[in-house]
Amino acid sequence: MSRRDPLAGALREVEIPAPGGAEERGLRVVEAAFAERTTGLQSSSELRGARTPTTSERRGRRPLPRLALAMALATLLAALLLSPAGAAVRSWVDEVLTATTPKPEPTLGEIPGGGRLLVQSAAGPWVVQPDGSRRLLGDYEEATWSPRGLYVAVAEGRTLSAVEPDGTPHWSSTAPARVSDPRWAPFGTQIAYRSGRTLRVIAGDGTEDRLVAGGSAPIAPAWSPLGDPTLAYVSGAGALRLVNSESLVDLAAAPALDDVAEIEWAANGDSILEASRRALRLREVQPRKLPPRPSISVTHPLPVAAGATVVDAALAPEKETVAAVVTNWRDNGTRSSVVLYGPGDAKPRRLLTVPGSLGEIAWSPDGRKLLVTWPAVNEWLFLPLGRGGESAVANISSAFAPGGQAASFPRVDGWCCRR
Amino acid sequence: MAELYSLHWRRAYRAAYLVVHDAAAAEDVAQDAFLAAVDALDRFDRRRPFAPWLHRIVINRALDWSRREALRRRVDRAESVFEPLPPPDEIGGEMIAALKELPAEQRAVVVLRHLLEYTPGEISSMLDLPRGTVNSRLRRGLDRLREAAELESLEKERG
Repeated sequence: MSRRDPLAGALREVEIPAPGGAEERGLRVVEAAFAERTTGLQSSSELRGARTPTTSERRGRRPLPRLALAMALATLLAALLLSPAGAAVRSWVDEVLTATTPKPEPTLGEIPGGGRLLVQSAAGPWVVQPDGSRRLLGDYEEATWSPRGLYVAVAEGRTLSAVEPDGTPHWSSTAPARVSDPRWAPFGTQIAYRSGRTLRVIAGDGTEDRLVAGGSAPIAPAWSPLGDPTLAYVSGAGALRLVNSESLVDLAAAPALDDVAEIEWAANGDSILEASRRALRLREVQPRKLPPRPSISVTHPLPVAAGATVVDAALAPEKETVAAVVTNWRDNGTRSSVVLYGPGDAKPRRLLTVPGSLGEIAWSPDGRKLLVTWPAVNEWLFLPLGRGGESAVANISSAFAPGGQAASFPRVDGWCCRR
Repeated sequence: MAELYSLHWRRAYRAAYLVVHDAAAAEDVAQDAFLAAVDALDRFDRRRPFAPWLHRIVINRALDWSRREALRRRVDRAESVFEPLPPPDEIGGEMIAALKELPAEQRAVVVLRHLLEYTPGEISSMLDLPRGTVNSRLRRGLDRLREAAELESLEKERG
């Protein structure tokens, strides 16, 4: 690039914020890691299960390899006996010790729990068949399944398209602005999507595209699962709104959770999950006869530990059970848990806790397994709701790189299909 | 190691920031890239330059972060009516604001090409993408940046 290139100049010279002491903090961590490595305590394989990429390192703690972990635990256990602050340490040690994860399969084979996956990689979305075979659909930015998995709606720039799972194009439509967050209605008749800051709906055959709302927050809309053309979305003003996507009549509105990042309608139609980085809650959707519009004023918060971050949450296919990935950052490093909130449960049930950060969570079509991504160790975890049957798959990044080379970690966008 | 770190950290951090647009995440990405490099020193061919190897890790980690965050729409949220972008106070600021509105994949190739000065062929190799995909992402990204710059100047002309 020429130095006269204004973009190059701007990128090189523009002032960007940096957390105070970031460079020095990083140097201490990297030097410690280098010293640890040169004394022979570490091998790359030892990193599995203990590697955390982010905040624990920022605090100057290198994620511990297993040999070093054993040594550190001995020290910590001694501290338990000597220190009045031992309870917190014991809690952490217990969790690390009980963070058992299955030995991963080296390659992606048959999908545990069956069904087909939609996976978004750097190269575009992939369809993974039940036997583990996979196909790249093309250079699209987002993708979502149709209700029965017969098609995939894909977005790229201002274009929304429907393609078959083998990549064959079906139709394309050009929107007024960049397309994002397409969501297919449960009976396949319509697709809702965001175009710029607006919310639009198009028929499942690519016709009858129309504006539904002029101001929409950057959150995917959610369709009623009951077959009626009711669409839930978060308005630009932060309200959760229900609208009839055919008549465009507003049906209900209520303030959404602060900083809401995701909404999902429960399969029975009785509630809507709202998730933000700090909170989870279920909002009742109560039918009313007069006027014939639902009430959405009653909410039920789901407990999230103070200071914890909700990474992702998903409603089970048939029940009002919510599965969530929650991350806690404390002095002793980042820990992530998979927790379940069952209907009527007094408190959430923890399925798994691991050191480091977990990513997305998705339910299997039959609601018996959860897929949890673990980018820090390049794995997917398949967790059953009951005991036994856990499995893991390693080398996920390279499985979704066109040349088979290691690449960035992909995102799971859907596990198809309930019917 | 300290010398190598000092030589490369600022550029690595800048590249990470320009992809993720989050200072804490950029710090994590840069630090994680150095840690990954330390872990993989045995496999590194010391006859080859260190920077492209490090930059490949930085950009891929930054893309990982951006994709995970896309779920929570933190990047998009910055474009929303809730949190309008601060008014740019200089030409560089306008560029950065427009860059932030690009999809992460396009930001990554723009940063690799225009900040880190790799050729499309080198970017193709670093991101494990076909050359045509790199070129199309670069073209789309630059088109959008150009549109943003033209819109800005038009608005200024209109007062």
